[in-house]
Amino acid sequence: MLHYDFMQRAFFAGALIAVVASVLGVYLMLRRQALMADMLSHVSLAGVAAGAFLGLSPTLSGFLTATIGAVAVEYVRRFYKTYSEMSIAIIMVGGLSTAVVLMSLNKTMSKSFTSYLFGSVVAVDRSQLLLMLIVTAAAALFFFFLRRPLYQMTFDEETAKVSGLPTGLISMLFSVITGMIVAAAMPIVGVLLVSSLIILPAALAIRLTSRFSAALLLAVAIGLAGVMSGLTASYELSTPPGGTIALVLLAFLAIGVASQKVVRLVRAKSKHAAATDTEMHSYGPIPRLGEDSHTS
Amino acid sequence: MILASLKEVEFGYNDAPSLHNATIEVRSREFAAVTGPNGASKTTLLKLMLGLLKPWKGKTFLAGKREDGRPLKVSYVPQQIAAFNGGFPSNVQEFVLSGCLSSGSWLRRVTKEDRELAEKSLRQVGMWQLRERRIGELSGGQKQRICIARALAQRPDLLVMDEPTTGMDEASRKGFYELMRHMVDAHGMSIVMVTHGLEECRPYLDRIIELERKGEGGWKCCTTTLCSGHFSPAR
Repeated sequence: MLHYDFMQRAFFAGALIAVVASVLGVYLMLRRQALMADMLSHVSLAGVAAGAFLGLSPTLSGFLTATIGAVAVEYVRRFYKTYSEMSIAIIMVGGLSTAVVLMSLNKTMSKSFTSYLFGSVVAVDRSQLLLMLIVTAAAALFFFFLRRPLYQMTFDEETAKVSGLPTGLISMLFSVITGMIVAAAMPIVGVLLVSSLIILPAALAIRLTSRFSAALLLAVAIGLAGVMSGLTASYELSTPPGGTIALVLLAFLAIGVASQKVVRLVRAKSKHAAATDTEMHSYGPIPRLGEDSHTS
Repeated sequence: MILASLKEVEFGYNDAPSLHNATIEVRSREFAAVTGPNGASKTTLLKLMLGLLKPWKGKTFLAGKREDGRPLKVSYVPQQIAAFNGGFPSNVQEFVLSGCLSSGSWLRRVTKEDRELAEKSLRQVGMWQLRERRIGELSGGQKQRICIARALAQRPDLLVMDEPTTGMDEASRKGFYELMRHMVDAHGMSIVMVTHGLEECRPYLDRIIELERKGEGGWKCCTTTLCSGHFSPAR
C-alpha cells in the first residue's frame, strides 16, 4: 500500500497530526475544554462552505475560520468565566448554522462535503501536506517553549497570573494553535471525528501515568499507533479513515482502562497495597518548629 | 516599605458595592490576617490587592520591585484549585517543583537547588512522605498543604493565602502559624492570609485587617496594628 503516493502522503500527514493533536488533547482535557476541538471543527465546516460558495480555496477558508473561531471562543469564555463550556456551545451553534445555510444555497457542493465530514486519505494533496507541516512546526515550538507556563495555567490561571505569567496572551495563543491543529487534521479524519484524534489518546494517557511529561509522551505514542493502524485498516477494509481511526483509538481506550482495572484489582489483593495504604494515612501534622531541622 | 495597598476602594459584583471605602496597607516583613464574617468580601479584598479584579473606585497598588531593586515575587494560594481532580497526571513532588520553576527563564533546567527547595518545602508542611502520590488522590487538607508547599518553594517576597488552614487539625494549624512566623522573621517574607480563626493565630500576627458591616452600603476595613511583641518560638 505504501507504493501509492496518496498513501505515503496520508501516513506522513497522519503522523504529523497525531503528534501535535495528542499533546493538545492533554492540555484541552485538563483545562476542561475537551469539546473545543469538536466546536472548532464545526466552525471550520462553515469556513469550508463559505470558501466553496465564494469560489475560494475551501481548505484555506476552513483553516482561517477555525482560527478566528478559536479567538472568538476565548473572548466569549471571558464573559462566562464560571460556565466556560457555554462559550463552546455558543460558537458551535454559530458555526454549524452558518455551514448549513451556506450549503443549502449551493446544492452542487454537497457531494464534496462527504470527504470533509468523514475524512479521506486521497484528500491530502501536496498543498495540504505543506500546511500540516507548517502547523506541526508552529505547534511543536509553542508546546516546547511554553510547556512550563502551560502546566501552571492548567492548574489555575489566577495563581499563574499572580506569579507574573501573561496568561491572557498565552490563552489566546493556545486557542489559535488549537484552531490550526483542528483545521489541519480535518482532511484525514473529517469534521465529525476530528476530536477523536485529539481527545482519545489524552483520555487514556492521563489515566495511565502520574507524571505530566510522561502523560504527554504516552499520548503521542497512543495517537501515532492509533493513526497508523487506523489508516492501514482503512486501506485494507476500504472504510473511511476518520471512522476507522476513531474506532481503533476507542478500542485502545477500552483495553487500556480494562487492563488498568485488572492491575488495580490484583494490586489491591497484594500486601504491597496494604503497605502503601498505611503510608497514605501515616503522614503527620505540620511539624512544630524545633521538631524539624528543615525550617532554617 | 509598602508592598501592596488599597486606597478608598469601592467594588461589587452586581449593581450595589459589596466593599466600601476599603483602605489597607501591607508592609514588608509583616504577617497580616484578613478576617470577617462569611460574605464580607475577604477574598475580593485579596483579589483586588493582587490586581485580579479592578476596583470601581479608588486606587490599588502592588509593588513591582523590592527594596533592593529586584522584581517582587508574589505567590497566591486560593481557596480552591478547580483542576485538582482525581485524574490529574502529576505527582506531589512534580507539582511542588513547578513552584521553583515559576521564576526565571521558562526553559531553564531543573537544578539540584530546585530539588532541595522542593523537598524542604514539602518537609515543612509535613508532606514529604507522600511525594510520589498522584495529586488527585490526596484529601482536601493534603491538597491545601501541597499548595502551600508550592507557594513556599517559589520563595516569594509576598505570600497571599485564602483560608489556608481549612481542613487542618489543631496541631497542624499551630505548626503552620509557627512556620509562617518563621518565614517572616528569618526570610523576610510578607504574608497576608484570610482566616476565621483569629483568636488562634493572633499571637503570631503583626496586623489584623477586619471587615466590618457599614450599614447597607457593604463592608469597610478596620485595621489593627498589634503593638505588643508577637509570639516567636525562636525567642
